[in-house]
Amino acid sequence: MAMTATGVHHRSYTSELRLRATRAEYVRLALMGVLLVVVPFVLDNYWMSIANTILIAIIGAVGLNILVGYTGQISLGQGGFLAVGAYTSVILSDRMGLPTPLAIALAVVMTAVVGTFFGLPGLRLKGLYLAIATLASQQIIEFLIRRDYGDFLTGGLGYINVERLGFLGFQVGGRDVFERQWYVILAVLAVLSVVAARNIFRTGLGRSFMAVRDQDIAAEAIGVNLTRAKLTAFAVSSGFVGLAGALTAHYSEVVSWEKFTLEVSILYLAMIIVGGLGSIAGAVYGAIFMTLLPVVIRNVANALESVVPFLGSQLPAVQNATFGLVIILFLIIEPRGLNRLWERIKEYFRFWPFRY
Amino acid sequence: MTRTSRVAFVAACSALALGLSACGSDGGGGGDDAAPIKIGIIADLTGATGDVGSPYNEGMLAYIDHINAEGGIEGRMIEADSNDYAYEVPQAEDLYRQYVNDGVVAIQGWGTGDTEALSSRVASDELPFMSGSFAETLTDPEEAPYNFVVAPTYSDQMRVALNWINEDSGGSGEVAVFHNDSPFGQAPVADGEAWIEEQGYDLGYQAYPMPGGQQNYVGLLSQAQSQGAKYIVIQNVASPAALVAKDIADQGLDMKIVCLNWCANELFITTAGEEAAEGHMLIQPFAPLVAEKEGHEVINTYLEEEGIDPATIGTSWVQGWYVMHVMAEGIREAIASGDGEVDGPAIREALETMGEIDTGGVVGDGTVEFSAESHRGSTGTGVYMAEGGQMVEVEAGATP
Repeated sequence: MAMTATGVHHRSYTSELRLRATRAEYVRLALMGVLLVVVPFVLDNYWMSIANTILIAIIGAVGLNILVGYTGQISLGQGGFLAVGAYTSVILSDRMGLPTPLAIALAVVMTAVVGTFFGLPGLRLKGLYLAIATLASQQIIEFLIRRDYGDFLTGGLGYINVERLGFLGFQVGGRDVFERQWYVILAVLAVLSVVAARNIFRTGLGRSFMAVRDQDIAAEAIGVNLTRAKLTAFAVSSGFVGLAGALTAHYSEVVSWEKFTLEVSILYLAMIIVGGLGSIAGAVYGAIFMTLLPVVIRNVANALESVVPFLGSQLPAVQNATFGLVIILFLIIEPRGLNRLWERIKEYFRFWPFRY
Repeated sequence: MTRTSRVAFVAACSALALGLSACGSDGGGGGDDAAPIKIGIIADLTGATGDVGSPYNEGMLAYIDHINAEGGIEGRMIEADSNDYAYEVPQAEDLYRQYVNDGVVAIQGWGTGDTEALSSRVASDELPFMSGSFAETLTDPEEAPYNFVVAPTYSDQMRVALNWINEDSGGSGEVAVFHNDSPFGQAPVADGEAWIEEQGYDLGYQAYPMPGGQQNYVGLLSQAQSQGAKYIVIQNVASPAALVAKDIADQGLDMKIVCLNWCANELFITTAGEEAAEGHMLIQPFAPLVAEKEGHEVINTYLEEEGIDPATIGTSWVQGWYVMHVMAEGIREAIASGDGEVDGPAIREALETMGEIDTGGVVGDGTVEFSAESHRGSTGTGVYMAEGGQMVEVEAGATP
């Protein structure tokens, strides 16, 4: 018992490839599983709706992190890609009458295609220049859905009401059960997304993404096809984002351009920066953190309103300021985000009383 | 650290997380006889339309204050929860979910974008929803069965404006429509064009979105000038509209502004300045206090009791007061006609079947009436002119 670990050591490649190396990690996995199951029994409908928002954000953030964190291609086009997923799925399911699961799947494919197209400049551009190019994709998509020339998207209404989700004879119910039923659907999809993303980076494809990020010329020299790697990263990432967009549409039951603005792109970037670039767990932490932050601030402001009336009367400003402050603090204190903080905590206990 | 203590630590962390996430649970309720009636308010106090959104919200809260001081509705108090959403649709959705969970029986919203975004949700949750948005799409019970539009729609206001322009111009002229670049701004644009066609008016018609955050609208005005526009219909809130009025005055242009609803108020006149605002037209379905309608007496009494100077009370405030009044009357009817159970469907039915709701001449042509076929509360609107820094009534109860 009285052992002190010196680190996690692998003696074989199989062992290194394993997703979990220590028993504590299995315990944590079990606890996470229990947590996911327990949540719908302890939270009320309002907090369930926040849980659902978080689950959708997790899928989107994981997708963005594949592109930005793992492949090093900065993207400001997240909002636009979410919109592609949302509009495609709703038009296919509600207007063309396809089964919703099929519509969502096609929306994923469609977003991947659009994402790949807008990823083309990424073959020539890097860093800030690519950021501007993806900003253009955001603006173009936003422009199209906002102006809706020819009314082919919303039929002149400016928004689309989405029918309540139903598939294979199952229909999501009224307000008493709505959030809980959605929770089950979203939890399953979020878990699948996280597992899928986690596994991509155990394959050659995932490692080629990281090689591109770390040094693209070196990656090319060791035989990575840069064009293919970058475009695949755009496709895979956009696929996840398209799924998140489609789910947003069916969950919130309305699609309008106001939900897919540049602010959304920036919010998602903030999620993965705060959570930890280049880490799937980080995307999850970031999604949870950034979704909860405004809610927590509002509750705190409401509670303190009698003492500090300024907080209540200037709430959105306070929220924006806190949002900015959090990002700056993370960049200064732990640029690798919540995930790195968590790892440091783990290491502290693992190596205690020594520091490595 | 040993393995068991590590496990214990992880377990403790998870337990803590679980405990934290369980915080804030609060069961909703409502319905039993003596309990207060809960209403949720989604307000814009600090967002893009906050200049008129905050007095509107104050008006609503003042009405609730007033009715509670009188002993509530049939002895039941109104408990309103008002929160700022800063004109951001996702924030409005979040507030809406919170209110639903808190067990509100009705919701007062604000903007067109968020009202439309929530309309299918309120229908499936069966919560009557009124808002500061008077978009035409919300008046159709087929499309939006739980949305109620108290005042004439933006489209009706646009039609009244075009009728007035047609008359004033002597039958031919150019109209430029400056609108807020959002669902709110776009709401009446297409209907206005259709109206000109339908009525066979010889009016040119061109719409220009107003980019937000501008220091001036000289560029937009020069576009309107090259169109040859003599009339500028503005569908935006007061502050940007006032900028347009200032620019027209500065450049000495021969153009007349016709403001719809949210810029047709005192704030437009005071922000632009008395001189710049002089002579511009205001289409305003809610009578301002200076129009001294019968329905203003109750407001004046309230203001006197509270020691508030009526000169500081703008039309947006009056709008908030009377929109809340219409909802309160619906709730009163629901209590009176039902078995004491006040919920969304009961209020909806009350509003649809109770007939005319008297507003003492303040809203439209004086009364608001809904039916199961139409949630268009009124079609009449006042037409005012800015004169000597005041809103002077030109016509009351004008209909398209």
